[in-house]
Amino acid sequence: MAMIRLEHVNKYYGQGATRFHVLHDINLQVAAGELMAIIGESGSGKSTLINIIGFLDDDFEGNYFYNDQAIHDYTRADFAKLRNQHVGFVFQNFKLIRDISIAENVILPLLYAGVGRRQAKKTAARVLSRVGLGGYDDKLPTELSGGQQQRVSIARAIIANPDFLIADEPTGALDTKTSQEIMDLFKQLNQTQHTTIIMVTHDPRVAEQCERVVKIIDGRIVDDRKVGAN
Amino acid sequence: MRNAELLRSALQSLRANPKRSFLTTIGITIGIAAVITILALGNGVKKRLSDEFNTTQNGEQYTYLYFTPNDSQSAASGFTETDLNAIEERFGAKVKKAAISHETNNASVSPLVGNERVNNATISLLKRPTSKISIIAGRNLTTNELLTEEPVILMKESLAKKQYQTVQNAVGTSVSIGDHDYRVVGVYRSQANTYNDNKYGADLIGGTKLFYSGTTATTGYGIKLTFYQGANAGKVTKKIKKYMEKKGTSAHDGTYMAVDAGAELTKVNNMITGLTAFISAIAGISLFIAGIGVMNMMYISVSERTQEIGIRLAVGAAPQNVMAQFLLEAIVLTVGGGLLGFVIGWLLAGIISNFMPYHIHAVITLNSFLLAFGVSASVGIIFGILPAKQAANKNLIEILR
Repeated sequence: MAMIRLEHVNKYYGQGATRFHVLHDINLQVAAGELMAIIGESGSGKSTLINIIGFLDDDFEGNYFYNDQAIHDYTRADFAKLRNQHVGFVFQNFKLIRDISIAENVILPLLYAGVGRRQAKKTAARVLSRVGLGGYDDKLPTELSGGQQQRVSIARAIIANPDFLIADEPTGALDTKTSQEIMDLFKQLNQTQHTTIIMVTHDPRVAEQCERVVKIIDGRIVDDRKVGAN
Repeated sequence: MRNAELLRSALQSLRANPKRSFLTTIGITIGIAAVITILALGNGVKKRLSDEFNTTQNGEQYTYLYFTPNDSQSAASGFTETDLNAIEERFGAKVKKAAISHETNNASVSPLVGNERVNNATISLLKRPTSKISIIAGRNLTTNELLTEEPVILMKESLAKKQYQTVQNAVGTSVSIGDHDYRVVGVYRSQANTYNDNKYGADLIGGTKLFYSGTTATTGYGIKLTFYQGANAGKVTKKIKKYMEKKGTSAHDGTYMAVDAGAELTKVNNMITGLTAFISAIAGISLFIAGIGVMNMMYISVSERTQEIGIRLAVGAAPQNVMAQFLLEAIVLTVGGGLLGFVIGWLLAGIISNFMPYHIHAVITLNSFLLAFGVSASVGIIFGILPAKQAANKNLIEILR
């Protein structure tokens, strides 16, 4: 049974005559435990798709079943809850709050889930050392390198034990070596924790390390295949 | 998210920009400080009025009417029961009670000290012994003596020296006042009598009970008039004075004087009341402008922190969490400014009261505090709600793009 099931999803930007059709009749299923890449040119709609999958965008046409629940009918507050409990985000430009410490950034999802600060900080220390940043709790994001900041954002994404991770160009702002380190971390999470990971990338070297690659051109899925390598 | 965490992140964000936060609150601080200052002074005047002069705790007013005999040797009785009955009968609609005033501080007496009459002497009367005077010869009065109306009395050092050369000589001598003969049991050193209201500067100190027993219970040189609520005490007192001058028992032996010590303070009170309205209006404008400043800053803050809002929404903050956070920031800002204004207003009122006449002290009440807190919190809510709503309704996709 698929964890994520999109049926006939269409997405438009704008209204009236200038309305732009971004996603055309998307049908996609993702099972738990997959490590999947979505590739495509810029402007192809891959980020739009991943935003819908990750409950960031609730404004689309069509059906989205998450664990067989029809979430296309959910309210804005319900979506906030879904994001908090079921998904972790990793963004290209890390998206850390600059004037609070690393640990404060990492515990945000737990705080919004109602966990106490003391408990959350303990968890954060554990998760930070898992991503190779043990002891960095009280530093500010600006004191860290790009690769380190991306590790922080991965720590934030996994701290609440989400069902799946959404990564939008996670290596886009990093050099080759650091990119590989981040990819290794993703693969390790996927293999040891069985975390489902859905990432958007235009870097073929990143895509070829995933188990499944979905290709989008002009808002249509044109290719969906298993990569046997892993 | 837990409420404590919301407050914490609000404080965190404000601390990230301390100068701007401080500048934004100045308007609130000034507005609240002005209101608190004028209220504290106004309360001070009112308290002085009610404490010292015209008003009892349940809002009744009272005044005094005094009789001064033309001749200090006069046997004129001043006010008698006949006078009191007449006043109550004639002015009963306004006057609740007319009673002989039993002055206990520096009452005027003409005692016979030894064999010599001393005119214009003063006596203070006690219900229980005091430790506020220092006995330099003999002993102090005892509780038992005052209770059982023993005819004992204390004499002031200066009077004792004048009459008996040394203070030791004075102990054991007798003093006659009215119907009673007292034995001097001690001599005390007078305190500096800067104000006439220092009861321990009187020539003699004796017991209240004995002094006002006998004829002094029903006659006296002063009466206290208690008025019903709403009566014009000053005006009625003047009428009563005129009436006594015509029909009083001792009308031909002396003059009457009405004391409405509250009149002067009433003028100050009226002035302060007018000033309160004026300053409140100015403070209202100040608070309004300050509120707009807060609103402006919150809008700037919301647009500066668009990324932060996006991040918070992405990791699972509900829109109302974000709204609560920004609203709380506005409230913390204004309440902080308000409390600072409260403290400044308190200090300012204290300083100003040093320059006020009639020993007026600034009075801060719990209501003043609640007013400062309530008004500043309201300003925060009123001017913070729109920016907070804007923050909560931001389009997540557009922020994260």
